Amino acid sequence: MQGRLTVTRPFMVGSVILALSGMAGCTALFTGPVEEGETFDQPLPGLTRAQQLAFARGDEAFEKAFSVKEGLGPIFNQPSCEGCHAGDGRGHPRTNLIRFGRNAGGVFDRLDTEGGPQLQERAIPGVAPETLPAHANAISVRSGPPAFGLGLVEAIPDAVILAGTDPNDANGDGISGRPNMVVPPDWVGVPQTPSVGRFGRKAGVAFLFQQVANAYHQDMGITSDVLPNENPHPVNGTLGDDAPDPEVSRATIDDVLFYLRTLAPPKRGPVTPEVKRGEQLFQQIGCASCHTPSMKTGTHPTIAALSQVDVPLYSDLLLHDMGPDLADNFVEGEAGGTEWRTAPLWGLRLVGDHLGGTHFYLHDGRTSDVREVIQSHGGEAAQARTRFFGLSKQDQDALVMFLLSL
Amino acid sequence: MKKFMTVALSLIMPFSWVFGSPLFSEPTQDTTGQKTERPFVAGGYYDKPFVTRLFGRTAIGGYMEALWKLERAEGVNEGPSFEARRFNLFTHSVVADRLRVAAELEFEHGTEEIKLEFAFLDFEIHPALTFRGGILLSPIGRFNLTHDSPLNNLTERPLVSTLIIPAALSEVGMGFYGAFFPSAESRLTYEIYAVNGLHDGLLAGAGGTRIAEGRGAFDEDNNPLPSLVGRLTYSPLVALEIGASLHTGPYNRYQVDGIQVDDKRNLTIAGLDWEYRQGTWDVTGEYARASIDVPPSLRGLFAERQHGLYTQVNYHFGRGWITMMPRSRFAAVGRYEVVDLDADIAGDAIQRFSLGLNFRPVEDTVFKLDYRTDLHWSRVDVPKRSVGVNFSVASYF
Repeated sequence: MQGRLTVTRPFMVGSVILALSGMAGCTALFTGPVEEGETFDQPLPGLTRAQQLAFARGDEAFEKAFSVKEGLGPIFNQPSCEGCHAGDGRGHPRTNLIRFGRNAGGVFDRLDTEGGPQLQERAIPGVAPETLPAHANAISVRSGPPAFGLGLVEAIPDAVILAGTDPNDANGDGISGRPNMVVPPDWVGVPQTPSVGRFGRKAGVAFLFQQVANAYHQDMGITSDVLPNENPHPVNGTLGDDAPDPEVSRATIDDVLFYLRTLAPPKRGPVTPEVKRGEQLFQQIGCASCHTPSMKTGTHPTIAALSQVDVPLYSDLLLHDMGPDLADNFVEGEAGGTEWRTAPLWGLRLVGDHLGGTHFYLHDGRTSDVREVIQSHGGEAAQARTRFFGLSKQDQDALVMFLLSL
Repeated sequence: MKKFMTVALSLIMPFSWVFGSPLFSEPTQDTTGQKTERPFVAGGYYDKPFVTRLFGRTAIGGYMEALWKLERAEGVNEGPSFEARRFNLFTHSVVADRLRVAAELEFEHGTEEIKLEFAFLDFEIHPALTFRGGILLSPIGRFNLTHDSPLNNLTERPLVSTLIIPAALSEVGMGFYGAFFPSAESRLTYEIYAVNGLHDGLLAGAGGTRIAEGRGAFDEDNNPLPSLVGRLTYSPLVALEIGASLHTGPYNRYQVDGIQVDDKRNLTIAGLDWEYRQGTWDVTGEYARASIDVPPSLRGLFAERQHGLYTQVNYHFGRGWITMMPRSRFAAVGRYEVVDLDADIAGDAIQRFSLGLNFRPVEDTVFKLDYRTDLHWSRVDVPKRSVGVNFSVASYF
């Protein structure tokens, strides 16, 4: 018997029971895959292997939270991209950021020398955060917009967007969409001529690259090869932090840029008869005049998945006067204090899933009630709002159900 | 000279009288007449196997741990992978009667991280009063003192004992420990030390307040005030022990060359731990609560309050089932734990349930198979489930 492993009967019986129960419960014990199109963090279909690798790299960079030692700050809003774009969706009101300026007598001042136009309300230890100047009267509180589908938005040709403009309301429908023609800064590396703005709550940015590099610099206080100098402190001037500049390379910016370009929008939810009815009403009462159901991309030079595809974003990407309830008095490019870019509605059904179960709507997440959102629409959207509240309760419910199917 | 002798005697005599009383005498026999040998902390430094096995002025020993792990979240596997987690060397030296020097040198992940986990001198004045100075394991919670892998029945350490109490928390400092014996079966122990404390690295991390990132002020304190750490335990009977502990003091650099550069900010961790053994069962657990004075410019992003809890049930069985290893035994383990890494918001929390099955061919060696399922809430309160499986080996030597 010496050297032989002998076991008693209870041991053998126990082992068999354990093995059998383990096999039976295997699938229940392990997590299952997420259904395609049900989250905001999935790649566009049709990416090549190399593109999927680049996507994974960008995903990692997007999730990365910077520490003080890695260069966070000295003044900043959040330590990571995800801080403002939870789960790659829209931001939680807790992480809202503030743009500010002074708007008086028809003249808007970004208050650049006083820390404008963005308030960095946090700072690394030993540095005072920014505070709002007392005379700032244009204060725009904003949640981070969803990060998915941006590549598709970028790939829509200017001509397609401009085809929807009607600045003088020639058709008399009360809606006069116009583009925010913005001149990109020189570091973007494109001709400094007016381009169709399409990113941001007021379409103040025309190029995704500009949006990414600026977010690193302004939101996180992370310098890069693109913007190598720290954001100056309005009171103390240029302050250093704990890391030498630049804190990230151009390659990191490019990784995140690729990630955002190839981040897919979620798929639409089930289309029930009620949803179908709601969709018809959405068209009939004029919501679709601004919330254009779909636009088509052009031919993308490097990413085939972005070429010639329908983009069901439910936005015309144009500026509209939205009336006093939503006005922020803040001017951005050609967008005035009551104007906003038509908010894309895609992914509306999953907003709550990415924000702890609460649907925070509108540019500042002020409400979770779709009817309240519609109620706050004024200006060019006033007629559609009136028509909505003139519908029967059943029809209103159907329209809301349609919105929550997107 | 006469005056000096009078003063000295007046100090020494009450001291001798106090330590000579039965309260300070360790019982040598229990109620059944057996000699009682209770280590200061069961599983703690003076309960390590090499200390009792080897003789001579200096003993050497240690433990190792290696594992195979698989993690999975949302249907995507991380791993599987092998990990050389720890190889730790202990030394224990009896310098003279009442003087001992002990140390632990830790190698994590091969030689990726090498650190001196403790290195202290003990000077035993009396069982009720021993001086300890050097790098010591802070007596905050029980797990920090008894975290050796061969002792633990699950591969992963409890979350509360790594995230709120950042085990292994070693600090440099000095103080005293000792034991009192109110009755033949009961015992009261204390440990109290002044230490350098944690530093402002706990707010330098990327994911919010992470107390573990504030460890490691071994060269000098970053501020002029020491922190205090202490633990008090009461054991009414050998099978039960309850401990309460506190770590408090400033963590930030608020003064440079005598110039005030910031407000003094405190970190306080309070802990409660318990252990109960009954036959083949034992229950252990720990609760900890941390309060962090965060600068106004970082509030909302870095937590000001954190807390967590774990409780673990171990059932030992199967001694002698494997006849060629008569000292072998098995253990079934269940642990529930939860930590809230920001008590002021909904989210930033982890809940974990673990199950394990262990085999110990001998008491000092363990093979562990365990499964855990986690629910992790992000800072915006979005839950994400993940699971993990470990197979690990750990042994004292």
